[in-house]
This record gives sequence, C-alpha cells and structure tokens, in this order.
Amino acid sequence: MAPSRGLARLLLRPALSNTAAYLRNVSFARRAYSFAEQLASPANRVQSYISRSSDPFVNLSIEDYILRTSPPDSTVLFLYKNRPCVVIGRNQNPWSEVNLGILQAAAPRSTAVKDTEPPAIGDVHLVRRRSGGGAVFHDEGNLNWSITCPRTEFTRDKHAEMVVRALRKIGIERARVNERHDIVLDQGHEKRPSDPQDTHQTAYTVDEGGPRPLKVSGSAYKLTRGRALHHATTLLASPNLHIIPQYLHSPARKSIQAKGVESVSSPVANIGLDVEMFQKRLQDEFSAMYAHQGKPHIVQVVGEEHLQIPEIRKGYNELKTDDWMWSQTPQFDLVLEGPARSEIKINVHHGIIKTLETKGDSLPDDMLEELQTALVGQKLQDVGNWTQFLQSRIEPWHADYGVIADRLEILLPVPHLGKP
Amino acid sequence: MSREAARFLCRSALVGRAPIAPRTEACTLNVVPRRRWDQRRGFVATHRLKVVKPYILADIGEGITECQVIQWFVKPGARVEQFDPICEVQSDKASVEITSRFDGVIKKLYYEPDDMAKVGKPLVDIDIQSEISEADAAVLDGAAENKSAEAPEKLEPKTQEIEVGRNDTAAFTGEVPAQPAPSLPAEPAQEESQPRKPPGKHASLATPAVRHMIKAANLKIEDIEGTGRDGRVLKDDVQRHTQATKAGAGTPAPQSAPTQQPEDRIQPLTPIQSAMFKKMAISLSIPHFLYTDGVDFTSLNTIRKKYNATREKSQRLTTFPFIIKAVSLALQQYPLLNARLDTQTIPAKPQLVYQGSHNIGIAVDSPTGLIVPVIRNVQALSIEQIAAEIVRLGELARAGKITSADLKDATITLSNIGSIGGGVVAPVIVSPQVAIVGIGRAKTVPAFGKDGELVRKEECTFSWSADHRVVDGATAARCAEVVKGYVEDVESMLVRLR
Repeated sequence: MAPSRGLARLLLRPALSNTAAYLRNVSFARRAYSFAEQLASPANRVQSYISRSSDPFVNLSIEDYILRTSPPDSTVLFLYKNRPCVVIGRNQNPWSEVNLGILQAAAPRSTAVKDTEPPAIGDVHLVRRRSGGGAVFHDEGNLNWSITCPRTEFTRDKHAEMVVRALRKIGIERARVNERHDIVLDQGHEKRPSDPQDTHQTAYTVDEGGPRPLKVSGSAYKLTRGRALHHATTLLASPNLHIIPQYLHSPARKSIQAKGVESVSSPVANIGLDVEMFQKRLQDEFSAMYAHQGKPHIVQVVGEEHLQIPEIRKGYNELKTDDWMWSQTPQFDLVLEGPARSEIKINVHHGIIKTLETKGDSLPDDMLEELQTALVGQKLQDVGNWTQFLQSRIEPWHADYGVIADRLEILLPVPHLGKP
Repeated sequence: MSREAARFLCRSALVGRAPIAPRTEACTLNVVPRRRWDQRRGFVATHRLKVVKPYILADIGEGITECQVIQWFVKPGARVEQFDPICEVQSDKASVEITSRFDGVIKKLYYEPDDMAKVGKPLVDIDIQSEISEADAAVLDGAAENKSAEAPEKLEPKTQEIEVGRNDTAAFTGEVPAQPAPSLPAEPAQEESQPRKPPGKHASLATPAVRHMIKAANLKIEDIEGTGRDGRVLKDDVQRHTQATKAGAGTPAPQSAPTQQPEDRIQPLTPIQSAMFKKMAISLSIPHFLYTDGVDFTSLNTIRKKYNATREKSQRLTTFPFIIKAVSLALQQYPLLNARLDTQTIPAKPQLVYQGSHNIGIAVDSPTGLIVPVIRNVQALSIEQIAAEIVRLGELARAGKITSADLKDATITLSNIGSIGGGVVAPVIVSPQVAIVGIGRAKTVPAFGKDGELVRKEECTFSWSADHRVVDGATAARCAEVVKGYVEDVESMLVRLR
C-alpha cells in the first residue's frame, strides 16, 4: 500500500509538454486535475478543502486520498457533511453496534420485527470507515472536520483544542476537551473561576456527582508512516438528536461476544450553531493556527468529479463492497435462544459462519445437523432474508426452524444496502 | 536450508570469490574470514546463516499497552523493504499502520488478525538481509570511540533484539524523511551551516541496500550522519547527505581541497523535461525508420509572395500551413500514417485504430520548453484557417497559457525545426502515433533546370520517421512523395481541396 503519489507527481504542472497521447490515458476533468495537483504540491504547506458532496463514501474516499497524497510536511483541513448515515469504526461489529433492522425505512419488514418502527427520516446508509473508534450517526446538522498533519506533530488533543478555541470565540464557553479527547459541553450550574486559555476545563466543569457533560464531538484517528489523520464529528444542529439512540442501540448487543472495539456510549447534545457560520469560523481558526507556515488555499471539492481520480475511485469502490462492510468484522460469537430454551452458539469469522453449536442436549440432534449443514460455511452477506434462506435449505420444515429464523432476523440481519 | 546456502553462494559470487561449498546450519561461521570494511564490494558476507530477529512492536504512545491486529499486509516468506507496511493495528480510536524498519524477509507472524498485540513484544520475525553483529562493528569502524564502546556493547542484551524504533506518535523524532519532492530544487544550503556531528558509533552499520547506495554515490559511510537507532545510517540519511554535498562546498575530508574546477550544478528535471523523459523512454521501444528527401520550395514561395503582397503582416502566410495541409491531403490516401497503435486494449494482440480526424500536432517553442499543441480536424480546415490556428496556439504557448485540452489527441506530429535550423533530422515518434515529420530549414541551393541550365532552388528537407512495426518503408515513402508533390506544385493541391 504505497502512498499513491505517482499519479499526483505526474500532474504536478499543467501539461506544457509533448504529452498529447499521454494525457489521453489520464483524461481528467480540469477541476479534478487541479485538485490533485494542488494537494500534492509541496509548495502548499497549509491547505484547506471543503466538500460539496453529501455522499459519505465519496467524502471518506477523498479524505483517505488527502491522507495518502498530501506532502509529508503539510497540514490539510477538510470539512464535509454527510446525508443521514451510520458510520462504524474500522474494526467494529455492525450487528452489535447498529440497529440494522431500521436502516431501510421502506424495506418490507418481517413479522419478527414488531416494535421498532423506523423513524421517519428515510433510508439511512451504513458505512465502515478506515479509522478506528466507535459508531456515530451523521446528518446535515453534523459537521465533520478532518486534519491531516505530519506524524511528528500529531497529538490527539491538538486539533480538538483548536476546535474548542473556535467554539469559545463564538461564545460557547462551556466547551472543553475531555480526557478521551472528545469535545463536551459542561453542564454545571454554578460558575467557578477558570483559566480561559485552558481548553480542558471550563467555568462549569463539575467534579464527580454533578450533571454529566454532554458530548458534542467524537474523534477517530488513522496513523500511517509519516502522516496522521484526525477526524471528528461536531453536532451543531442535528434535527435527529432524539432518534440517534435508536440507530446506535442494537438488539443483538447482549448476544454478541466479539473482539473488536466497542463504542462508548455518551449522552449527546447539539451545540446549537449555524453550520455554515461555524464552518467559516473553523477555517479561520485553522488558518490562524498555521499562519506561520503559509496561507491555505481554499478549493471547492465536489464529490462526483473527483471520483475520476483513480485512487479515489478505488477507495470509494472498496468502501462500498459487501466484503468491506460485513467481512471485515473481527471474529465473534452469537448466542441465540432457540426453541424450547435451547441455546445455539454461532461463530462468525471473516463474515462466514464457521461453527454452529448447541449447549447440552437442548436441541434434537437432527435439527442441529440440519442447521449445521445449512449454515456452516455460509457467507452472511449473501443470506438476504433468513426465513426464506432457511426454508430453501432445510427439508422438512417445521415451526421450530421458523423460531430460529425469526431470531436470526432480529439479531443478525443483513440489509442489502443498495447504491445510495 | 538450501535457500540459506544458495543465498550464501550468491553472495560469494557477487563479491567475486570462488563459490564456497554449501554449509549446514550446524557449522559456526567463525571459519569464514572477516572482510575489511575498505574492501567492501557492496554486499558483505554475513557471518551467520540465520539472522532472523524478532521485530518488536514499539510504543504507540499514550500509555497504550496493547492493540488489536486488524490486518496483515505480509505473509511468512514475503520480502519487505524499509518503510513497507507490515500490518494495521487498532487501539481504541486510532488505527495505525506499522511499517518495517529494515529490508528483509518475513519469517513468522506472531499474531492472528483480531488478536491483541502487546507493545514491547515481538510482532513478526524478520530475516534481515545481512545484518552486521556488534563484533563486526569494531572491525568495520576504525574510530577510536568504537573500540572503547565495544566491550560494554556486548553486554547489552538489547543488541540481540531489533526494536522497531520510533514508529508512532510523539516519539517519532529521528526518522522524519526530510527530502523534498524531486521536482523542487533542493535546499541544501542549510545543511552546510550546521556543524557535522561525529559519526555515531554505529554509523557503519547499515543494510545492504543502504551500503549499495553509499557505494554508488562514492561516499564513505563514516561521513554520513546516521539518524537511525544508535546512529545507524538509513536510506534517507544517504540521500540527504548526497544532496548536501553536491550542492555546496562542504565536501567530506577525503576529497582533497578542490582546485579551480568549475562546479557542477545539480538540477532536477523541469516538469517539461520530466514529461519528455517519460515520453521518450516509451518511444525507445519503437523501431524508427527514417526517410528523408529534399522538397523544392520555389513554387511555394512564389505563390506565397504573391499572396502575402496584398496582406497585412499579421495575415501573411508562412510555408508551414501549406505543408500541414499537404500532409493532411496525403493522409487521405495513406490513412495508415494517421493511425494509432493500440497495444493496451489487448496486450497480446496489438491493433491499429485508423483515426478519422487529422489532428496534427505542431511542435512549438515556448518559454518553458518544447510543447506540441494540436490543430484539430485539419482535413476540414482551409490553409488560412490552419495559419490562424498556428498563430493562436503560438501566442498561447508564448504566454504560457496552453491548456491540456490543446495538447491532447494528436494523430501525427509535424516538427518545424527548420525555423531554427537543420537539414536532415531524425525525429522521435510520440507513442501511440506511428509517424512524425521533421521539417528542416529551407536553403538556397544550385540545381539543374529542365534544359540543363543552372538555376537557384530553395530546398528544404523533410524527414519522416515511421513506426516500422506497422508501417512499411514503401507506404511511408509513397506518402512522403505525395506530400512532396503537393508542396512542390501547390496547384495540384487545389484539385483535392475540400
């Protein structure tokens, strides 16, 4: 996975050369061309971009391209907003982190899923990002910011502090960076003396026992050989705050034992700012922070156009594959209750059911065998509807299998996330 | 086992000695005579057959003691170079790519994906290509500091492990590759002003790849400042050093005080040169055959003078538009020379794409170098229009405003080098075109008229290069003759003009 600099280097200067046929092979729209050129130019030590696309796959692919292509000593800011989607971390388990059943508002619901009517916000897409961390919900009231900088200069707090400074300048004095490097709003009632320059404490910070601070921004990081990417959400004005918990609480959470990162749940809140205004302030704060290194060059990045850049297109395609979404899940065990209080344990690795066992004799042997034959070796992402799937594989059918199919539909659904 | 032996044999061959019989693992290597550093030949024979070392997962920072392995990028047996990624690990919110510090071969992976890898414990076993042990360091490096340090060195248990230095956050101080991109001129001046530190005691320790680089650059390893662990010299150090020494006067001591020699100047390739370099490197694979002939411009010049007499300076025609039109007309009869050789679509079966438009690239001199803007659809343009296009593109080129759209998709190229000079030229075809024409300078020469009398003739040499893989000599020659015919007798073009 060598950094993809080769292509960008070739485009370093506008083609004032004998390159007629050569450029034919690399036919860029001019805009995509100028972005790649600008990004990779070592003269641009401070860069600032903003995305017009609300497609999370496009934005994440552009972000990864920035990480891999920007010059080693440069610092790049990238701002983007996504349409409603749930984004899980690199190594998380979608079944235990996300309520998959309600993602597709219009999908035909199986009778098993009774008491979770999807919130009326339409289809919510599911994305697995490349950085670590937990599951978050994105929508247009949430501004994502990402900063790519040299690894030697990276600390987890550095840019969280920058954002807190920007917030405080607008008057959000309760904002601070907490011990997990997230940004929270203190909820204390009394105002105590506090150093305004200290971004880790506010006048409203309470000790143990007081009201918990509300999280407004969560961060994740990706570190490569020479570069560090820090990206984070910022809940400015999400209209969906009250339904976020529904998406991020999975019915299978207790039934799944997994290796991998679990999300740390925190109560969230909107900061209550206009998104456009905050974007501008954040860009200004970034420019000021890095003014000694250079003046950033603002480029409007549009999603679709930049898919013409092969690396971005490749990253985009990868993020959308079923393999990336489902089979990148680390190994896990699912324990479900079968008919007659039996307990069935399914082990899944690389998205494939590896073993199916039962505890004791609670399940008749022939049933166990049928299930094993039907399911072991099956790739989860190919299943579709569990009831139909099992019915096509198991003869003769009886109601007990139906019970198992229903439980699987609740705990291990595999919604088919078509092209957004 | 035989692999180890084979490697040993190869090394012996490389250093020019007689091949040594394969040894078994049980043999100790004290028998092998040590090589002196000054006799280095690029590869130094190791005096261990197995140099497999455990590669420790270094501190990622933030007090993290373990992290999860997400995916491996290597397998046992895979060859890695310094800076190749080995695996990706994740600790709570950060996913981190771990890269290799050495060149070598991966022997063993200590974890499965999803396992928790412990910081400070081995991550993989890597067979470092010819690592130099501490004992050798004393022989290799003649500096006094070494000899005193040698004894305590042996006591350090750490010498038996190779730590992944400085992979990650916060502690990553020494390894930052400071080289700018090659297309920017290096800034070596600042290196000069810093006093040179004495070489670290392990400055001589380096992987074969690094020592090869040093040898190729005619340097001595002791002179290079090593930023690796314990002063080891890494690839980056060598590159930094070469840039520093070449650009300035701070040469290392062994090179004696320079006499009054004019200094060499290092200049990286400009973007145009880089592009030319790449293009011409591709053209190397094309078998060119050259066909030249003199073309009589007398009649053409007469017609031109007549036309230009009544025109403003800006609207006067040179010979070039006529030639371009003539070539286009000839291409109607010999479309093969306007074809494109496609070796990409089906690599096993190259094919010719006969192109309908005649997009003629004209080589133009611009302040930044030679560029080739394209006049599109010459078959549909009049000579006047062609002339206007030439002027327009020329102005754009001089102003530096040529866009990539103007440079794309030429089907054949005409190079009017004659505007500068030259007789016979051997122009180089630009892939995927199959032909190119070079036009020399028109000279006044004596010739014989139809009755044998001596006449003045203005002659210009047209040099055609064609891709002999697909164009045969006869076709090219006939096309050239047709063009010559049109240019020498402009009226004959008239009957063919559309």
